[in-house]
Amino acid sequence: MAGSHRSANLSDAYSSPSAAFRGGFRESFGVPAAVLGAGYVGFGAFAADAGFPLWISVLCTLAIWALPGQLVLLEMASLGAPALLIVTTVMLTATRFLPMTVSLMPMLRSPGQPTWRYFFAAHLLAMTGWAVAMRRCPELPPVARLPYFVGFTACLILCAAAATALGFIASDRLGPTLKLGFVFMNPVYFVIILAGDIRGRMMAISLALGAIAGPLAYLATPQWSVLVAGLAGGTIAYALTRGRRSQ
Amino acid sequence: MSTAQLAIVVLAAAAGTYLWRGLGVALSGRVSTSSPLFEWVGCVAYAMIAGLVVRLVVLPTGTLATVPLADRVLVCVLAYAVYRLSRRNLFLGVGTGFVAIVALQLMRA
Repeated sequence: MAGSHRSANLSDAYSSPSAAFRGGFRESFGVPAAVLGAGYVGFGAFAADAGFPLWISVLCTLAIWALPGQLVLLEMASLGAPALLIVTTVMLTATRFLPMTVSLMPMLRSPGQPTWRYFFAAHLLAMTGWAVAMRRCPELPPVARLPYFVGFTACLILCAAAATALGFIASDRLGPTLKLGFVFMNPVYFVIILAGDIRGRMMAISLALGAIAGPLAYLATPQWSVLVAGLAGGTIAYALTRGRRSQ
Repeated sequence: MSTAQLAIVVLAAAAGTYLWRGLGVALSGRVSTSSPLFEWVGCVAYAMIAGLVVRLVVLPTGTLATVPLADRVLVCVLAYAVYRLSRRNLFLGVGTGFVAIVALQLMRA
């Protein structure tokens, strides 16, 4: 009873595309944007510490819009890795977007939308917006879904860009001790989300082997370490879990 | 690397990242996401980011290198514990990390 009442209200509230856009924007401006903001404040601080200009740091957030890839780019650029190696490695960290987009797009489609809108919406896709849209979209009328998603994720990317600038400026201006706090936010953020959201053996073993391979590869070859550790740890983890499964 | 070169690297990396998103739109409804290739690529991506994050905690460069290893590890453990005890409140977990590393440095000063 309560459930059907709630979904009736939602359909009313998100019946027009512009209402759905505003609704998505409002839902995201709060806890989702704040949590993501904590990650991007850390990225801004990290970028300042690595000597990136402010505008490049914000450009990273707006153009790449994937925190792991941004962190990889930042680290490899400050270690002096060759440009082609940096781009290749960032690309490899972003492969997760393919299955995410493939699974979300059928839900966002409705008749009569120009195709470019889906390609635009795809740029805004990242982990938070994807997870929320996968859960919320089935409750919404089909015409409301794409504008809802764009509203939700547009708010996230704008807040993340602002958080990047904030972290950059704060870590530059607030003195060395507070700067440490800001710079360490990104590693802490990833330790928590990686350790706190382990789904399945395959992911657990990949994370564990990557964690061992990362520092070892860094000692052997700093510039190649991210790529080498990922390929070695990931491939061994894949082989181990596949092998066990087929037994 | 000059600023102009860095900007080009950022834009090229952005194009490489968007490639997967755009390809996902083009392929949606036509491919299965549970193929062995996707599984392997997922393993590599997880191992890559885990390796980088652990290395940033254990062998950092820049400002973080001035903090003792024990402090960095302790702060991560503490932040994760608060995250779990607060029913997975990421904001509280990261906030604890911030406060703890600053407090430890003030105590040592």
